[in-house]
Amino acid sequence: MFHKVLIILSSALTVASAIGVLVTKDIVRACIFLFFSLFGVAGIYASLGADFVAVTQIMVYVGGVVILMLFAVMLTGGPGKESAGSKGYLLIPMMGNKITFGFGIFSGLVLLLTMAKITKSVIASVTISEVEGFASTVERIGSLLVSEHVLAFEISSILLLGALVGAAMIARPRKNV
Amino acid sequence: MFGLAWYLGIGFVLFCTGITVMIARKSIVAILIGIELILNGAAINFVAYSKFVTQDLDGHIFPLFIIIVAAAEAAVGLAIVIRFYQIRETIHIDEATQLQS
Repeated sequence: MFHKVLIILSSALTVASAIGVLVTKDIVRACIFLFFSLFGVAGIYASLGADFVAVTQIMVYVGGVVILMLFAVMLTGGPGKESAGSKGYLLIPMMGNKITFGFGIFSGLVLLLTMAKITKSVIASVTISEVEGFASTVERIGSLLVSEHVLAFEISSILLLGALVGAAMIARPRKNV
Repeated sequence: MFGLAWYLGIGFVLFCTGITVMIARKSIVAILIGIELILNGAAINFVAYSKFVTQDLDGHIFPLFIIIVAAAEAAVGLAIVIRFYQIRETIHIDEATQLQS
């Protein structure tokens, strides 16, 4: 019962907030909708028994990436400022037009048909496993990370260091230019 | 009812919303938001397949690396956005014409 309520609530939160990201005009509201959508994705991970991934999702995505995006929105002028740029666009751009939305929906439909054809055999042959006792996955994920996936683990540390130094280099204010 | 197809449907909705945000929006920050939605849709698929098909924990490792890569990408992308705003004083995607011939 609790499991079903968790699935329904987090699915509804995820899908509704993603559509909210799509249709809202304000960029700050899009960031807040993204916050709720990522929170719902964490609930979906929890309903799938992936507790460690759910907590990591909340800590890194919800606590880090969304806050970073809000800071970027604030540093780049914020919402509601409607003076035109050098080519006559609005300084804080809002939305696309009907053509871009139509193109996006069309590509989504094509993708839906392709995916349905590919995954039909897999879905037909799947074995539904009943909900077992909620065992923690942290210990097994930890031993997998340092035994089987240790190369990817070390490369990701190099990637994060490079991203940190690169972001600081790029965003550094310079005198000329 | 809540089988593999349910989770694949949610991942599909997230993916399509992200694609449409990337195509339709004109702000660079909004395009980064669309990329985050796409990555989340892919990660849901990994966890759902690992629960319903393979039943091991390898599918839980991939979302962790997806989260790591998304964090790095967001940091570098937003740094580029801030630098772009310092130079052009806008974040409209059609102003980013420096690399065009």
